[in-house]
Amino acid sequence: MTSSSAAARKALSKIASNRLQKELVEWQVNPPAGFKHKVTDNLQRWVIEVTGAPGTLYANETYQLQVDFPEHYPMEAPQQVIFLHPAPLHPHIYSNGHICLDILYDSWSPAMTVSSICISILSMLSSSTVKQRPEDNDRYVKNCRNGRSPKETRWWFHDDKV
Amino acid sequence: MGPNAGSLSAAAQQAEKLRMNGNKCFNKDRFAAAIDAYTEAITLCPNVAVYWTNRALCHRKRNDWVRVEEDCRRAIQLDNNSVKGHYMLGLALLQRQEYAKGIRELQKALDLGRGANPKGYMVEEIWQELAKARYQEWEHSSTKRSWELQSLKEACESALKEKYVIDISQREGFLDEDPTSHFEQLEALGRVFSKAAEDDVPTEVPDYLCCKITLDIFRDPVITPSGLTYERAVILEHLQKVGRFDPITREPLNPSQLTSNLAIKEAVQAFLEKHGWAYKID
Repeated sequence: MTSSSAAARKALSKIASNRLQKELVEWQVNPPAGFKHKVTDNLQRWVIEVTGAPGTLYANETYQLQVDFPEHYPMEAPQQVIFLHPAPLHPHIYSNGHICLDILYDSWSPAMTVSSICISILSMLSSSTVKQRPEDNDRYVKNCRNGRSPKETRWWFHDDKV
Repeated sequence: MGPNAGSLSAAAQQAEKLRMNGNKCFNKDRFAAAIDAYTEAITLCPNVAVYWTNRALCHRKRNDWVRVEEDCRRAIQLDNNSVKGHYMLGLALLQRQEYAKGIRELQKALDLGRGANPKGYMVEEIWQELAKARYQEWEHSSTKRSWELQSLKEACESALKEKYVIDISQREGFLDEDPTSHFEQLEALGRVFSKAAEDDVPTEVPDYLCCKITLDIFRDPVITPSGLTYERAVILEHLQKVGRFDPITREPLNPSQLTSNLAIKEAVQAFLEKHGWAYKID
């Protein structure tokens, strides 16, 4: 266990759990198109089913996203947002499920929600023109073998357009 | 209201020492000893509001609300801006079920506390107590209102039914009147009464009265140069911890650029006045 996964287990603050409860209620009334939240009693870890948008490379394919929240969400970005195995083949998604998307790391803003994260991820999938792993996939995944969280990666972001 | 260190008289110096001792005892939960220390300090310097509020805090810990009230009233006489004085007086009044007066004191404490330190723990604590009191007040008054409406509705319904029976007996033999109009009247009556009860039915707070970060109803809203409104304590925390930008537009933003959004604040107050259920926390 790394220090970051220990931090992930720290209970949510009152502000964080309040806010997640409200997000969950809003999600139930108005879920983002293409996503299904798998009901659990764990507010700190959401597992979300995503279905590729029609007319894109990922149409009719279903994947699972796991979102873990830190104690001080939303002042801190989610602890991790990853695809559970198997992760979609995409130039910004590593085979260990880590996603190279700036809003999840450096460009996080507390005004973003799980719902807006999901929409960004789906739009990233939809705009892809080729099904392949990032060029540095093997090196990156090897470096992550110790269970490192994607938040500890020093990302340099791929072209925003894909 | 701390005495000026440079020109402390012997009595004042002694009283300050007693206050420190009292604080130490308080932190060890030795409330009786703390009360003794503060009482001595008060005897030496009866005009220092803090000695009274400190002692009131000890009485509060011991649930001695009569004394809490006495000490707080004295503290407020000495310093009408005492946050703790108004706060604990409000709590004592609520204990006596003086809801309106208690709420007024808590509101005053909240306004003063925000002026002094908008991010302080006191402000949060006072808000929690105020919201709790207001929610209870709403529960109480809405129950009463719903009883009143219910009995009025039943009276109206039976009056309508009686009228229908009378109408029929007067028109004996002539069945030209449409019985559906009677049912329509009853239905309309039902609509009128559910409309009257609408404000008391807990629903969603409108989005424009909620902070985009907390997703909760505004307490102390501030507006940024981008025209967006956030909860003051939370946007300050964002600027300190995440970065100096507007969370939605990502325009550069400094704490000094935040201004109270008085219009939204009034709108929130008006909404809460009518929909006390929105005070519910959690």
